[in-house]
Amino acid sequence: MSKEIKYTEAFDELQQIVVDIEDGEITVDELSIKVKRASELIKVCKQKLTATEEDVNQILKELEE
Amino acid sequence: MSETPKIFTLKQVLSSIRKTIEQRYTSTYWVKAEMHKLNLSKKGHCYPELLEKQDGRIVAEIRAMIWQTNFDRINKRFIQTVKEPLKDDMMLLLLVKITYSETFGLTLNILDIDPNYSLGELQKERQESLKRLQKEGLINRNQQLDFPVLPKRIAVISAESSKGLSDFMQVIENNDWGYRFFSMIFPAQLQGDNAANSISEQLKRIKKVQNHFDLVVIVRGGGGEVGLSCYNNFELCKNIASFPLPILTGIGHSTNLTVAEMVAFRNAITPTELGDFLIQAFHNFAVPVKDAVKRLKISASSIVSEEKLLLNNASKLFKNVAKQMLSMNKQLVRSHGKELENNFKFALLNHKMLIRKSEQNVYRNAKFLVANQQNELLKLQELLPASSKAQFLLENNKLDQLSQSIRLMDPINVLNRGFSITTINGKTIGEKNKVKKGDVIQTKTATFSVESEVVNTKKS
Repeated sequence: MSKEIKYTEAFDELQQIVVDIEDGEITVDELSIKVKRASELIKVCKQKLTATEEDVNQILKELEE
Repeated sequence: MSETPKIFTLKQVLSSIRKTIEQRYTSTYWVKAEMHKLNLSKKGHCYPELLEKQDGRIVAEIRAMIWQTNFDRINKRFIQTVKEPLKDDMMLLLLVKITYSETFGLTLNILDIDPNYSLGELQKERQESLKRLQKEGLINRNQQLDFPVLPKRIAVISAESSKGLSDFMQVIENNDWGYRFFSMIFPAQLQGDNAANSISEQLKRIKKVQNHFDLVVIVRGGGGEVGLSCYNNFELCKNIASFPLPILTGIGHSTNLTVAEMVAFRNAITPTELGDFLIQAFHNFAVPVKDAVKRLKISASSIVSEEKLLLNNASKLFKNVAKQMLSMNKQLVRSHGKELENNFKFALLNHKMLIRKSEQNVYRNAKFLVANQQNELLKLQELLPASSKAQFLLENNKLDQLSQSIRLMDPINVLNRGFSITTINGKTIGEKNKVKKGDVIQTKTATFSVESEVVNTKKS
């Protein structure tokens, strides 16, 4: 569940940054920081789409407990 | 002695029973009964046990049979209509003939089974399940869960050999966008008598590891349309409805929606469609991300270029203003310089003139002064002899008079006139310097000095 929250948060934060930048809420000083953060979030989101972290063996172990 | 009783053979008795029954039950009858066991033999004949229960207690029981030829026909029609095979523990409406055989005893020979009655029974069960779920408030429970933003970890309940499973996996694993799902198969029977239990069992297992999954799918397909009434089973439907993760079904059939499909989070008609739905969910996540990238690029670069423009304008303006200021100040400096030079020249000239004037004045004044002084001197020179002579005479007279007086005062003159001066010890005699008898006094005259001894003193 924690992973779920993580990418939901990443997604929401990304959306917020985009809206803020579009609305002109961000000054040039903050811009590079925000853009950097956004690209990190994009990376996280893209990774979520194309990678998987679950370990079958771990699940099997838990099933046997 | 009593009469020897009549003795019958067993066959005679049983034949008599058979005849009686045959005479008594000449027609066929529709009988409602529960088929407890089908008991299908290898030859294809069935020997079902029929029951009637009241409050869970068996109140009637009898053996029955279906000849193989009858069974094939009955079963085929039954499956066609009910979508379920004949199986144990079903309430059936049976067309029976009561038969009795000397060797097999009393049996109900089943000639036909009414499939519509069974269909009605199944629908009744379905209605019953729905009603109970509604009553227990479970019917929308699973649908009220939040669907995961990214449904990527999937617990798959299916049969490993199922065509539906391979269809589903094909869709989610070979997608064109590189989306990766994590799936784990929890094998279960998907149709028939044991399916409800088998699926419930796997749900229980998944619940144990639910933290590893975002959702559950139940996929089935390619197994025909028979034996799906298990999806109306109350217990299974309850387990699905109350499951903590969203359950999606793709059972693949064309009959009426089962209760399980109705209470599931979402039902897809086929496993393929279910896979497409999940891919779509990924799109719903990926497209806004991609869109965000685009929007971010556009808006960020527009901010930058806007600022650049502003900066450019400002620096241009600054340059112009600075240039203007510079040239203005240059001009000011130049004009001030000229003014200064002029003023300086003028002042110099002025001062030169003043100096010259002063020079002339000094010269002139000096000359005048010298001449004046010379005149004065001359005058004084002229005046000096006359006045000095007069002064001299005057002073001389004064001096003469003074010397006359002084000469007159000289004691010698007095002495010359016959006076003398008497002194004692050099001092004149007076109140302060008295003389007594015996003192020697000196008396001076103009020509002599006399010393005398005092004989007598008398105040004069």
